[in-house]
Amino acid sequence: MAMRQTPLTCSGHTRPVVDLAFSGITPYGYFLISACKDGKPMLRQGDTGDWIGTFLGHKGAVWGATLNTDATKAATAAADFTAKVWDAVSGDEVLSLAHKHIVKSVNFTQDSSCLLTGGNDKLLRIYDLSNPETALQEITGHGAAIKKALWCNNDKQILSAAEDKTIRLWDRNSMEEVKTLTFDTTVSSMEYVAEGEILVITYGKTIAFYNALSLELIKTVEAPAPINSASLHPEKDFFVAGGEDFKLYKFDYSTTEELESYKGHFGPVHCVRFSPDGELYASGSEDGTLRLWQTAVGKTYGLWKCVLPEDLGTENSEQLYSSTPEIKA
Amino acid sequence: MATPVPVLRLPKGPDPNSRGFDPKSPRFIALCRTSISSSAASESDAEELQKEQHARSVLRERFLRCLLAATNKKVRFHMHENVNVEATFRTSDIDVLNFQVSDLHTPIGVQKEALIRCQDVISFTFDM
Repeated sequence: MAMRQTPLTCSGHTRPVVDLAFSGITPYGYFLISACKDGKPMLRQGDTGDWIGTFLGHKGAVWGATLNTDATKAATAAADFTAKVWDAVSGDEVLSLAHKHIVKSVNFTQDSSCLLTGGNDKLLRIYDLSNPETALQEITGHGAAIKKALWCNNDKQILSAAEDKTIRLWDRNSMEEVKTLTFDTTVSSMEYVAEGEILVITYGKTIAFYNALSLELIKTVEAPAPINSASLHPEKDFFVAGGEDFKLYKFDYSTTEELESYKGHFGPVHCVRFSPDGELYASGSEDGTLRLWQTAVGKTYGLWKCVLPEDLGTENSEQLYSSTPEIKA
Repeated sequence: MATPVPVLRLPKGPDPNSRGFDPKSPRFIALCRTSISSSAASESDAEELQKEQHARSVLRERFLRCLLAATNKKVRFHMHENVNVEATFRTSDIDVLNFQVSDLHTPIGVQKEALIRCQDVISFTFDM
């Protein structure tokens, strides 16, 4: 019996949600951080979407947000020309790293000892978090604002995407450019999948998969609408994408066939990411909400409850909501 | 016609009165250290730790009493960018992120009611 996807809406932000990231799986579950133009990034429990706390301190739109693997630290990049590091357990601001322009992207190394930042000043900066007074290294090269900067290849290399329509691979020690990919248009998003060394890139209506070490193209897939973000399932059987038509698309990775599309958001989708266990994916939108979507629709997980056909006829279902109730403002 | 997947409840939204990070949550209790770490020596010396804890309580209490004493007094705030303004202190929010003041004297006039962001304040003075 076919079940229809019920997305879980996480409200709380008052402006568009522009970035989101999951932590790894910790003894307390996994977590989700959302970056929002309202300047107040939020931490949520990853499998339920329950709000845990809001990181207060930025004085401008937050463009990028990330968590370290065990969700003990968070980092945010903002329009107030700072990148901030936070204690993700207490919500306290731990460090504020001044930059010379809007910061767009932040990324921790696997051991959380260093932070990579990138933004409108066109520089990639690496900070040693135990000694953050000045950046350890500054890498120049991009001709325009950096949109996303990520550690890759066991933190030995860096991948950066910028408004100069390139994606560049850098060696961390030599600070030199190893390889460059040039596109006809600026890349809208980039996701690095460490296991398997895959890079997921979106531009125009295309979702492209590259080998992250060699930057060789694996495959490209065309979506029905311009795509702003895509994410590959940890087991690499699916990928999801969202963009300007407000919908979420689910594709089979091997066959590249479009499997499903879901409506729900009231504005363009800016970011989408799979959870570390692959059971759900989260999307952030211009409409100011995050939505959680099941990978296997109908499965019991988090707040979703599988109902067997014989249970559907029973009276005893007060706990179950068959459709999302009205949320009061 | 496919039925929508049932859900147990909706995700909990933000608490309008606090910034969250519940100190009673298991994760907080297990992982959180105090913002100013206790001296390393205290791990072996319980007496040192106790003394330190006592000092912390005294300082915290003094700080809170100071805020109480400032209530309804004329206060001078010394802020970043060489800003010095006078206002009548009313109250602070629970996280000491904002101070609520009345009659804030600014170069462009007197603001009847205002919120001052604590992170912008370097120091403030008042007569007791």
